Amino acid sequence: MAREGIQYVLPEGLDAEGAVELLAAHLDVERGRARSVDRRFYDTFDGRLRSEELTLTHEDGQLVLADVTGRALNAAKQPAPPRRVLASDLAPGPLRDALEPITSPRVLTPLARVRSRVRAMRVLDEEAKTVVRVILEEPVLEGPGEVRMPLDRRVLVLPVRGYDKAMAHVRQTLRGELGLAEAAVSLQDEAVAATGRSPGGTSSKLEPRHERGERADRATAAALAGPSATMWATFPGTLADLDTEFLHDFRVAVRRTRSLQRQLAPVFPPEPLAHFRAEFKWLQQVTGEVRDLDVHQAELSRSGSAADGDRSADLEPLREMLAARRRTEFRRMSRALRSMRATEILDGWSTLLETLPALPPEGRLDASEPIGDPVDRRIRKVYRRMVRMGKAIDDSSPPEALHDLRKKGKELRYLLEFFAGLYPEDVVKPMVRKLKGLQDVLGRYQDQEVQAATLRTLGEDLGARKGGPAALMAMGLLVESLEGDHRAARMECAERFAPFAAKAQRKVVDRTFP
Amino acid sequence: MSVVLATYNIKGGVGKTSAAVNLAYLSARGGARTLLWDLDPQGASTYLFRVKPKVKGGGRKLVRGKSDVGDLIKGTDHEWLDLLPADFSYRHMDLALDSAKRPTRRLARVLAPLADEYDYVFLDCPPSISLVSESVFEAADALLVPIIPATLSSRTLEQLARVLAGEAENPPRLLAFFSMVDARKRLHKEVMERMALEHPWLLRAVIPAASDIERMGAHRNVVAEFAPRSRAARAYEELWREVSDRLAAGEG
Repeated sequence: MAREGIQYVLPEGLDAEGAVELLAAHLDVERGRARSVDRRFYDTFDGRLRSEELTLTHEDGQLVLADVTGRALNAAKQPAPPRRVLASDLAPGPLRDALEPITSPRVLTPLARVRSRVRAMRVLDEEAKTVVRVILEEPVLEGPGEVRMPLDRRVLVLPVRGYDKAMAHVRQTLRGELGLAEAAVSLQDEAVAATGRSPGGTSSKLEPRHERGERADRATAAALAGPSATMWATFPGTLADLDTEFLHDFRVAVRRTRSLQRQLAPVFPPEPLAHFRAEFKWLQQVTGEVRDLDVHQAELSRSGSAADGDRSADLEPLREMLAARRRTEFRRMSRALRSMRATEILDGWSTLLETLPALPPEGRLDASEPIGDPVDRRIRKVYRRMVRMGKAIDDSSPPEALHDLRKKGKELRYLLEFFAGLYPEDVVKPMVRKLKGLQDVLGRYQDQEVQAATLRTLGEDLGARKGGPAALMAMGLLVESLEGDHRAARMECAERFAPFAAKAQRKVVDRTFP
Repeated sequence: MSVVLATYNIKGGVGKTSAAVNLAYLSARGGARTLLWDLDPQGASTYLFRVKPKVKGGGRKLVRGKSDVGDLIKGTDHEWLDLLPADFSYRHMDLALDSAKRPTRRLARVLAPLADEYDYVFLDCPPSISLVSESVFEAADALLVPIIPATLSSRTLEQLARVLAGEAENPPRLLAFFSMVDARKRLHKEVMERMALEHPWLLRAVIPAASDIERMGAHRNVVAEFAPRSRAARAYEELWREVSDRLAAGEG
C-alpha cells in the first residue's frame, strides 16, 4: 500500500501551472486533470488525533482517517460533512474501531475548512508505469464570514510500493534541481493556525512555575491564569453540551482555582477574595449534579455492556430515566451558566489575576515574599494533615471521613502540580504517583456511593414504568455489585494509604518542603 | 484478515486473468486494500499492470519462505491495488512445492504475513490440476471459476466440485460464472439455461465475449479505465457486486 508521503512548499511566485511545467521539464510525468476538493479537518477539543499523529477529514462524501503524511488508513461514507462526530455514533466498522479508543468520550468537531485546486500527476518509467505520484495543491482557507485566505501551495510526493529508486530520484529533483523546501507544518496545522486556533488543540494541563524567588502574588496569578483560560475555553462547549469532557475540564479548572484561593489566600486582598471564593463555590455547585449523572451514565454503559444481553436490555428503562434526569439538570445548569452572574465571575476573576501584582500590599501578607516559601509551608502542612486524617480512619469511620481525606488529597495534588517546577522531579513525580493511587481508590469509593444512592432514589419511579419490574431486578443486581465494589475499594484505601504515609515518605516531605 | 479469492479453471483461455485484474481493480476502487498475485508464469496480469515479470530469488525461494514477500510487492497505477508479480520460474512451481514440506500449505504461508495489510488478495492461477492448484485450494476462501458455456462445461464444474470436496480440509467456496458469452450463439443460450437449472447456485452475472476485453492487452489497462461505460466494464461491476454480496452473506 501507499507509504509515507513527503510535502514540499512551492516558493512565492510559483503557481501550480508553473510548477507543472517545471516538473515536466525534469521528469517524465503524465499530467492529470485539475479538480476541486472541499475538505474539512476534524479533531477533538484537546487535539487527541493530532497527538497520535492522525488526521480525520471529510472530503468527497467520505470521512477519512489518515496519518500525518496523508496516507489513508480507514474511511467511511458520509455524504454531508457532519457538524460533530462522536466515534460511538458511527456505524460499526474499521473507522469506528480505530477512532473510539482514541477519542471517546470526546466529540470531534470541524477545525478548519479548506478548498483546494488539486492536480494529480504521475511519474512514469519506460513502460509508462506509475512509479511515483505527485499531487499539486493550491489550498484556500474558508473562514467564517466568507473569509478566504490562500495558504501555502504544496507538492505532495507519494511513493509507489516497490519503486524506491524512482522516489529517491524525484526527491532529489525537487530538492536539488527545483530548490523546493520540505513543508515545516502540515496543511491541517497551517489551516488551523490561520483560523486563530492552536493546531494541537486546547490542553487543560497546568504549566508549572519554576522560579522559587518569584514574587508570590505574581507567581500565583500566573499559575491561576491557566485554569482561568481553561474555564473560558471550555465554557462554550459546556453550554453547547458537545461532550461530557468540556464540563469535566471546566469543573477541574474551577476546583484548581478554589484550591489555590484557599491555600494561598494571603497573597490576595481579603475582600475580593471572599467574594470570589463564594462565587466559585456556587459555580462548582451548579455544575455538580450534571457531572455526577455523566459519570453515572458512563459507568452504566460500561457495566451494561459487560453484562449479558438480557440484563443489558433490562437496564434500558433505567438508562432512559437517567437521561431524562440529566436533561432536566442540564437545563437548570445551563440557566445558571448563561446568567450574568456566571460571566461576571469569570470576567472579574481574570481581571483580578491580571492586576494582582500591581494591587496595594495592604492586607496581603505573603504577596511579596518569594513563592517558594508559602508553597513549602502549605505542601508540608496539607501533607501532614492528610497523614493525620488517614491514620484516624478505621473500620468504624463514616464514609465522610474518606471523602474529607479525598478532598484534602486534591488540595495537595494541585499544589504539587501548580508548583512542580520548584522541586526536584524525582521527589514530586513519585509523590504524585502515590497520591494518585490513593485518590483513584477514594474517588471510586465515592463515585460508587453516589451512584448507589442515585439508583435507590430512582427505584420507585422505575417500578411504575413499562419494563419496570425487570429493570428493578437488573438494578438490584447493579446496586449489589456497586456495594461489593464499594467495600473492596474501602479495603484498598488502607493499602494505598500506607506507602503515601510511610516514614520514608514523611522524611522526604520534611526535607523537600522545609 | 484478508479474503483470498482465486480465479481458477482447469482449462486455459476462459477469462481468468481478465476476471482477476478487473475484479481486483474494482475491489481497490471501492477502497479495499487489494493485492493481486500473478501465479501464472506467462505473466499476463503482470504485463497488463506494466510491471516487470521478475521476482527476486524466483518462485522457489518464495514458496520456501526464504524471501520477504513484502519486498517483492509492486504498487500498480491504481491506488489501493498492489501486485505480486509473475516470474518465469513459476513454471517450475510444482517442483518447488513438491520438494517442500507440506507443499499444499505453502501458498497460504507466503500470504500469512500480509493478512492484516490487505482486505482482498486475488490469485490469478495457471490452468491445471497440480500441486499449485491444490495449494491454491488451501489458501483461497473462494474460487472464482469462469466457465464458457459449452457442452462439457457442466461436467468440468462437477469434476472441480468433487476435487474440492475430496482434497481440501476446508474447501473454498465455489463461485462460478459464465464467461466469454456470445449472446448470438444458440448453443451458449441453451447451455446457460440448462446449467442454471442444474446448478442454481451459479452466479447471475455474465461476462460477455467483448472486444473491449480483448483490447486490454493493447491498452495495458483494465476495462473500467479505458472503456468505463462499455458493456464489459458494467459486466465486471455486476460480477464484483454479486461476489461481494455472496461473500458477505456467507453463501457458497
